[in-house]
Parts: sequence; structure tokens; C-alpha cells
Amino acid sequence: MNGYGGSILRVNLTEGKVTKKPTPAQMARDFIGGRGFGLYLLFKEVPRNADPLGPENKLFVSSGPLSGMLVPGAGKCDWTTKSPLTGGYASASMGGHFTAEMKYAGIDSMIFEGVSANPVYLLIDNDKIQLLDASHLWGRGAVDVEVELKHKYGEEFQVAAIGPGGENQVLYACINHDFGRQAGRGGVGAVMGNKKLKAIVLHGTKSVPVADLEGYRKAGMALYKACKDAEGLAEWSRYGTTVVTSWCNEVGALPTRNFSAGSFEQCDNINGKAMREQIVITDKGCFGCPSPCGKYSSMKRYNTRVEGPEYETIGLMGSNLGIGDIQDVAEANRLVDDEGIDSISTGNTIAWAMECYEKGILTQADTDGLELKFGNTQAVFTLIKKIAHREGKIGNLLALGVKRAAQQVGKGSETFAIHVKGMEQSGYATHNATAMLLAYMTCDVGAHHNRSWAITYDLQVGRDRVVPEKVARVIWLQNFRPMFDVLGSCRLQWVELSIDRDLYPPVLEAITGIKRSWEDLEAVGNRIWNLSRMYWFREIDGFGREWDYPPQRFYTEPPKTGATAGQITKFEDVQRLLDIYYEQRGWDGNGLPTSTTLQDLNLSALVA
Amino acid sequence: MTATIRPLGMLKTYTAGLKEIPIETGLPVRQILLQLGINPDLVAGVFVNDEQQTKDYIVQDGDTIKLLAVIGGG
Repeated sequence: MNGYGGSILRVNLTEGKVTKKPTPAQMARDFIGGRGFGLYLLFKEVPRNADPLGPENKLFVSSGPLSGMLVPGAGKCDWTTKSPLTGGYASASMGGHFTAEMKYAGIDSMIFEGVSANPVYLLIDNDKIQLLDASHLWGRGAVDVEVELKHKYGEEFQVAAIGPGGENQVLYACINHDFGRQAGRGGVGAVMGNKKLKAIVLHGTKSVPVADLEGYRKAGMALYKACKDAEGLAEWSRYGTTVVTSWCNEVGALPTRNFSAGSFEQCDNINGKAMREQIVITDKGCFGCPSPCGKYSSMKRYNTRVEGPEYETIGLMGSNLGIGDIQDVAEANRLVDDEGIDSISTGNTIAWAMECYEKGILTQADTDGLELKFGNTQAVFTLIKKIAHREGKIGNLLALGVKRAAQQVGKGSETFAIHVKGMEQSGYATHNATAMLLAYMTCDVGAHHNRSWAITYDLQVGRDRVVPEKVARVIWLQNFRPMFDVLGSCRLQWVELSIDRDLYPPVLEAITGIKRSWEDLEAVGNRIWNLSRMYWFREIDGFGREWDYPPQRFYTEPPKTGATAGQITKFEDVQRLLDIYYEQRGWDGNGLPTSTTLQDLNLSALVA
Repeated sequence: MTATIRPLGMLKTYTAGLKEIPIETGLPVRQILLQLGINPDLVAGVFVNDEQQTKDYIVQDGDTIKLLAVIGGG
């Protein structure tokens, strides 16, 4: 098939066997690749009610038809599994070079099933594939292991690895690659750790068939030219996502002290300007990227280095913890990366614990002696290790994630556990931004921002308005933006450089030989969205409307300070948002896709 | 004494498509934006001589100030 690696690799870790079969053409036609492949395989292969941290769960990693091709930012793959954090759908996007190497090794998806008796790593060198002993790597940091494996096999090998967080099955453990990139959300690293798979080491040198080589070259170069000519390229490349830090602070979106406010008085010490002045050494990009958003930083105070921090980590491990020093945030970033736990969920969960401590709900008897006050950097560093290694009372408690930790502790702490569906909310405070609030409420994996980033729209049309146009905007973004994760390339060139998205269909057609407009692609996006919704209903007893509610803080506690002081969303507006959203999506009052909707999307047979 | 402001991308819709506008010095960028009819909430980044500053930055003689729109976030 043009544009594809051509095969699905199945790795049975219980039996220690690896098999390869051709990628089904029908799957490629209906689900295209990347996240589409992951969700389809999850639905088909993982039985209902499988324990996420048990042998029946599977871990899927998939590239897309644009992965590894002459397209800006063609470095994205998707990791999908049944989430140990939420019990529902987990899909985590990972940048870097892994997806391109998969394509060149002839692989579209890898399926990891069963559980190995002993720690192993998977070595792929084109068609030579082996499961090898990883006992000498087990217990070591993810970045540390990547360095060793690259030294052993060569710089041209790509490595994805888990750290102690994954090995110890912290419910929000991540998978690390290229030293500073992660498949971060939903606990994909915990599933890899449960299977005792420490790392994947990958190299490929095969050609990729394309339908129209000259057309592909022309259309790909048109995309690169558009990036090169884009206004803002230099500014975006210099600062990456940290460019929005001060802006978020100004509009009340910067998570501050467990999302109790949206503005942080020390923002100037942790923004993009502070980063470039104090710690950034160089820019770092993914495969084929002309606008490198990654920053490689050196922290003189600690004599350490890290790729990062990017905006999310600045928010969740900086302002959200009351930490107002960029070197401290960067060091926290380095620790979570090497330990292999998601910076967003870690920062969110620690912030909850800090609020509990300051309110007397947790005491030093509960925190293993740590003084968990906002701003206590050393306590954060210690806590990161405790969580990743599940050490002590507090390490074990916080390794569960904020929803379960709050359920365990009780005493009203559930009211300030900032999550949706059990996934900790990422870096935008939504006290008064109804489109972004809705985006978090209805995101298909829990409270994650990257499907539908709608704050600008809130500011343009009125942040507290609840109108059908806002809901339609959120839905359009949910059908459109994740298609980049299906295609296997980065969305940030469109998002941040405003390049014309109509430049993508020609290159996709030249590669695959299949003509698809954005209308066609968004229809696939809508299909995938509804299938993910059905997965939640299938897996969680009692799933429905209440699982779409936002954190209580956003409709009960207006911030006392900052740009959104005194502002809050009314709970009746939360309900109205859901009513309009369900109607526009073709779902019933409980958020279940109707039979008509499923028929129209050709999903009835699959979900039956 | 003058400086120059350069709205990037869609922000040029607020300046009738003009790419470069001379501005007064001695005022904070935020005030300049309001004078130009640009909603400060829609400006993600202010770059003074290619270095990011906040909207409280006081414009100096000879500054070139680029304005980056908030587009799509993360």
C-alpha cells in the first residue's frame, strides 16, 4: 500500500514470540493510520472489562501515512491502550523520530500483548527482530537507558523506554523517546511496565512506496515553503510553546496553585523570556520539522540538562505548584522525564496534595515528613522520586493519580481534585472560558487540551457565552485537529504558523494515491470520535453525562486574584453546554451516540 | 522619537493590512495596542528587537516590535 510500512508486528510477551502480517487494506481505508489504527485495534482486540494492568490489555503504537515522509513535522506516532488511570480510552501522541523509523522498518503498527516473565527489550533492525534480556536495564531511568542503548547499537537506532515510573506501574507513567519526548498521558507507560517491556530499539532502512513521486515532492516542498514564508516562524521557533506563558497569565488561563487561580504573580520568572535568558542552549526539533519547538536547557544550579520545559510543564510543575524559578521547573522536568512519569499529571496531583497539606487534610504524618506547601521546590523533587518508586505513604497515594487519591483521602478533597474522567487537567485554567471548559469536559481521553484548543475563540466571542456556535467550534476542532495524530504528523505548523491546511490533502493523495479532502478527513475524525465514545460506554459501568462534568472548582470557586478574579461558570451553563453538545453530536441526553448516528457513521456492526 | 510596530499574520486585519506602523515611544505596549484598536487578549507574544517582552514593556526609541497572534495553542 502506498505510503505505508506495510505490516503489523505482533509481539506476544508471554510466549516470547514475534509475528508479522500485512496491514489490512480495509483498516487503512477506514481508519487511515496512527490514532485511527490504535483505536480500531483496541476495540477489536482487547476484551471488554480487561484489567488495564493485566495480560488481556494490549499496547499499540502506530505511525500514519505522513510519518517519515517529506512533510513538516512528520514525526508523530500514537500509543493507545486501555488506560490504567481512567479505565477508558488512552491515546498519547509522541514526537521525535520513532515513527519515521517504524515506517522505514516496514511497520505500521506494533501490538504488545501478554506479559513477559522477565524484563525484556525489543530490538528491531529491519526484518531482524529479537526480544532480549533487560534485567541490566530494569530499575534505571528512561533517559539513562536510552543513552546506553544508543551507545550499544548506534546513533541511528531510535529508542522508546520506560523509567521506574512505568516499571512500578504509576498510573500516569509515560513512555520516553529522543531524550525529551514522551507519550505522556493516560498511563501508557504503566501498561508497558506491567508487560515488563523496558524498551523498544528500532532501526529501518526500507523504502516507502508512494503513488506519485513527483507530485509528492512538489506538494511536500509547497508545505515546507509555506512554513518558511510564515510570519512568526522565527518567534515561534525561538520560544516554542512557552511563547504563550505570559499571555495565559494575562487572560487568567495559567494554572496557579492547584487551579485556584489563572494568574501567577511570579510568571515573569518562568516564561519563555526567562527560559531563553537563563537556561536554553539550543533548539531541538522532531523528524522533518522546520519550526523546532523543543528547547535543550542547561541548569547551572543543578549542573544538569533537559529537553524542556515546554508550556505544559511550566504550568503544571511551575505556577500550579507555586514555583517561580525556571531552573527549578526545568530540574523538576528532568526528574519526571528520567523517572518516566507524565509531567502534567504529576504536577496536577502534587498540587492537590499541597492544597490538602495547607488545609490540614494531610499532615506530615501522611507525607512522610515532607512539608508540602506551595512553592517548596525540594519537597517536589523528593516527591517525584517517591511517586515513581512508590515509596512511603505519600508516594503510594499520589501514584494513583488525583481522582483515586482524593477518593481515598476524602475530607472534601474531592472538591479540588482537578480532573475529568480521572485524567488530570492539563495547562489551562477554565474558570471563565466556556468553549475551553467544554473542550476539557468532552475530550475523548479525559481532561487534555490538544484535541480542541478553543480559548482564543472564547476571547473573541465572549468568554462566558453559551451559544451553539461555540459548541460547533469545539466539535469542529475535535473532528479536525486529532486527524494529524491519525496522519502521523505534527499539527503545530498549522496551529502556530497558520499555514494553509489545504496544502495537506495534495501531499496525502500523492503519497497514498487516495484523494481525500478535509471534509473526508473530518468525517473520519467524527467516526473515530464516536468510536472512542462507544469504548467508554463499553468499558465503564454507569458511564454517561456525569463523567463529562468539569472539576467542581470551575463552577463553585471563583479565583480571588488574577485576571479572572471573581469569575466563574454557572453550573446551569455546564448543563446547557452538554445539552447543545450532545444534540450537535447526535447523542442522547446521557451522551450515548444514537443508533442513527452510529448507522450514519458505519459503526453499527463494529460496536454491536 | 519613534519606534515601529509590525503586526504578524491575522493581526494585520486591525491595521488595514499595514505591515509596519510608526508608534510613539515612552508608552507601554498594551496602551499602543489599545490605541491601534488591537485587543491585547488576542496578542500572544510581543517581541521587541526579537526578544519576547510582556505588554508592560515601555517602548524605546528605535525599537521594532513584532506582535504574534494567539492562534491555536498547544
